[in-house]
Amino acid sequence: MDQSRVIKAYRWMLLARTLDERLAQLYRAGQIFGGVFLGKGQEALSVSIGMSLQRHDVFAPLIRDGAGRLAFGETPLDALRTCLGSPLGPMRARDGNVHRGKPKEGYLPMISHLGASISVVNGALMAKRMKGEKHFVGAASIGDGATSTGAFHEALNQAAIERLPLVLVVANNQFAYSTPVASQFACQNLGDRAIGYGVRAHTLDGTDLKSCLEGMREASDLARNGNGPQLVIADLLRLCGHGEHDDAHYVSDSLKASNLGTDCMHLAEQWLQEAYAIKSEQFNLWKEEALKEINEGIEQVQGEGSPDPYHHPWKSLFTRELCEQV
Amino acid sequence: MPQLGESIAEATVIELLVSAGERVDAGQDIIEVETQKATMNVTSPCEGVIESFLVEPGDSYAVGEVLGHVTDTAKDAPSSAQQQDSPKDLPKDAVFESVKPSERQVAPVEHKPASAKIKPTIKGLPVPAHFTGAQYMSPRMKARMHELGLREADLAGVAGSGAGGRVTIQDFERFLTELEQTRLTQASSMRVAVADAMQRSWSRPLATVGQPVCLDPLLKHRSESDPKPGPALYALRALALALSENSATAGRLIGHQIAHPASIDIGFAVEADDGVLVPVIREANRKPLQTMVEEYQQLVEWARMRKLPSHATGRSIATITNFGTFGLTWATPIPLPEQTLVLGLGAGRKVPSWNEEKGVFQPILESEMTLSFDHRVLDGGAAGRLLSRINALMTQPSLL
Amino acid sequence: MSVTYLEAIREAQAYLLEHDSRVYIYGQDVGAFGGAFKATKNLAQRFPERVIDAPISEDAMIGSAVGAAIEGMRPIIEIQFADFSTVGFNQVVNQAATLFWRTETPCPITLRLPSGGTSGGGPFHSQCLESIYAHFPGLVVCTPATVEDAYSMLIESVTLDDPVIFCEHKYLYFHLKAPNLPKDALPIGKARIARAGRDCTIVTYSAMLHECLEAAEELSGEGIELEVVDLRTVKPMDTDTIIASVARTGRLLCAAEGWPWGGVNAEVISRVVAEGFNLLDAPPQRINAKDTPIPYHPKLWSVHRPAAASIIAAARNLLRS
Repeated sequence: MDQSRVIKAYRWMLLARTLDERLAQLYRAGQIFGGVFLGKGQEALSVSIGMSLQRHDVFAPLIRDGAGRLAFGETPLDALRTCLGSPLGPMRARDGNVHRGKPKEGYLPMISHLGASISVVNGALMAKRMKGEKHFVGAASIGDGATSTGAFHEALNQAAIERLPLVLVVANNQFAYSTPVASQFACQNLGDRAIGYGVRAHTLDGTDLKSCLEGMREASDLARNGNGPQLVIADLLRLCGHGEHDDAHYVSDSLKASNLGTDCMHLAEQWLQEAYAIKSEQFNLWKEEALKEINEGIEQVQGEGSPDPYHHPWKSLFTRELCEQV
Repeated sequence: MPQLGESIAEATVIELLVSAGERVDAGQDIIEVETQKATMNVTSPCEGVIESFLVEPGDSYAVGEVLGHVTDTAKDAPSSAQQQDSPKDLPKDAVFESVKPSERQVAPVEHKPASAKIKPTIKGLPVPAHFTGAQYMSPRMKARMHELGLREADLAGVAGSGAGGRVTIQDFERFLTELEQTRLTQASSMRVAVADAMQRSWSRPLATVGQPVCLDPLLKHRSESDPKPGPALYALRALALALSENSATAGRLIGHQIAHPASIDIGFAVEADDGVLVPVIREANRKPLQTMVEEYQQLVEWARMRKLPSHATGRSIATITNFGTFGLTWATPIPLPEQTLVLGLGAGRKVPSWNEEKGVFQPILESEMTLSFDHRVLDGGAAGRLLSRINALMTQPSLL
Repeated sequence: MSVTYLEAIREAQAYLLEHDSRVYIYGQDVGAFGGAFKATKNLAQRFPERVIDAPISEDAMIGSAVGAAIEGMRPIIEIQFADFSTVGFNQVVNQAATLFWRTETPCPITLRLPSGGTSGGGPFHSQCLESIYAHFPGLVVCTPATVEDAYSMLIESVTLDDPVIFCEHKYLYFHLKAPNLPKDALPIGKARIARAGRDCTIVTYSAMLHECLEAAEELSGEGIELEVVDLRTVKPMDTDTIIASVARTGRLLCAAEGWPWGGVNAEVISRVVAEGFNLLDAPPQRINAKDTPIPYHPKLWSVHRPAAASIIAAARNLLRS
């Protein structure tokens, strides 16, 4: 694999991890409104999704896709702006934390209802096809919990019927909040479901950047080349609480100690050391740069103030004349 | 119940001319009713069978009340007009429209039942006695009346066509149109001010008591005085002294508390333009009669010219009104809204008065004094005692 | 020549497909079959690839419409019966209705909801859901009552850059006819005085308009003149026209096929009382369907929702008060 590509991937992972850690600190210092949700443990998978996509593709990331969002083109500033409630952010402080995106750039903002974004990706893909575009792909990222929703079922089925170039990635991190997978589904492997939908399944080691980069590339290429939807299941462990308000005490030590509990950052660093002879000084340098970038971003965003409720355009329709004044 | 005449709001059922179950023709008389104006008949709306009557002879019902039901059995009963775009095969509910029993369902439609039976009213009343009239005013009515500066009392004669005889906005607008056809002149601001004061005063229960007072001692005293006080001033001074002895009778009831007068300031009514002004003599209890004459005359002059200074009006605790100057022998004056008492003095008349000592009727000059008062603050006894004291003082003018 | 309400809807869609290549129709049975009510008859043949059959997946249908709209298309989603739209409710109110508010990206989708009762329809083929959708910010809700409005308002709905819930009435599909399609029209958001009157204002919409007009004709014979206001659009609501009518008559009756609680009638009355209190000569009244699911048997259905006779009775009560 091309070294620069791997390094790019790692650095995005690092940036995402650093951003997460700083957000967690800000949260504990009481400087964030609402909840904070981290992607710790999922960076390798997420960045691989982002890197399998091109500019004209569509991406619907979910809660723990900080790394993938960066890889798809989001700036740390936009992430920080949304989390810190800056009026200059892409959501203009009307929505916060992980509910962010830029629809016209193919970067879809999630809603809280899990599974709901998959059909939105489908629609975007149908539109691209109707407009005559070629070689495009749409990726939707969900967790094991979302596979239980009706929205997931309807959307995957719809994508299969329409033979859409959808890559549906399930980060099977063993828990949906406190619910273990044993209470989420009864099939042996999530990937077995693909047969039921008439699509192809891929299984990845979600902790291993190499497995993720290769697997995502393969799935994405298959979709892009007209082979219909691809269901990707990545096994890993959530290495943080559901949100920073949650201490995840229900995750057993044995699970944490198992292979599933491997931190993808460490594994990636190991791979870079072994395969590309990256030294520890280089890692430290990268870490410093990441921290510097994030800290400067935080300082900038915190100086942008908060939205003015009295001069806010309280309009819910694009067509102003149809907005009511009741 | 049909509208059997303009401004008729209800009618009394005299007799049911047919029975339930009987066949009737269209237009046949079925109920005899009586209104304030005449006796008339209610007729059947169609050929058919009387299903039921909901009314009874002797009771009154408002215009619009359901009197009964008749089932249409005409052979060619016309179906209700169908518009080209109306839903055709919906089974229809029937209330008053004709029904073919074999074809259509008669689903009983909920409508308001006949309201509680009303006692027949005394004939000749424009608004039936038990009806609401203008007592219930819709928001629209209130707004319109506010706009025009009218109150409920102004609509007293308006018969209402709404439920319970209430005056609807249509009745009101009709009333206004009729009003515009009568000769109208603008009431002066004086007139409006007096009207307002009297209206507000009248919201209390007022009572009047009276006593005749012999004016001869007063007239003798007057003839020996210079300058000469008028009879009203004698009464004013007497009232002031009587009140200074017991000011509670001039107190005002505010809620459950009596507000006592601070200073015995007495006003007296002066006719000015087409209304009345009430100049005030302050601390009339402290000023001997003679010393008030000049002040009194000045105040009368100012009042007639409508140039009373502010210190000479308002904040008085009782009023004197000498309507005797108009030739009235007695009256029931109305106190000012913020006062409990008004003392009226009627015209003097020569009358025979029985002299017990001499055993003969002797001519004396006598006038009726009437005291109107807020009956919430004092009763006949206190009023009588006050009046008696005033009487005593007026017949001993040297005490004034 | 005469055109039915349903044909007007079909013609509007044909017009849109022909003049705007961004428009497509997606729904169950809309393709070769032409739709459950034939609203898309022959359109798939005329416009291949743009009239697409959907699986029974209202959530995915509506979600995909949002995605397509983001990419610049103008999807028309035909939900087979309004009653089934609740399966995709989340996508309507949380995805489509919030997109502009959250991202300033407009969401130009149109959901066609065949609404309202027909004899024997039962609880799940008869619902009127306009007030439920109107409750959520970010949606436009249309309720055309005439053939002309069915045509012009559907075209305008798809042209609008906002999500529109288009509540077309199933009973009117084949029962309502007009001589021609209109050349011009009132815009979405404006109400229409369907019948001028004097004694009482009836505010209504959709199929109830025709029941109200029938009631008005009958009462006219007794010297009572009702003024009938056709809302045309439930949200935004043309409060000005309603208030102006109540200013003329002093009395308000609202007639709707929907259920009572929090329905369109409640909203109209709330606004008139708040903004036109001093125009009212009597308490405003409403007449709604009964507060039960919609019954199946025609006899039960005949009294479940307002009809000309019950509207007449309600109007009489109001005029007597």
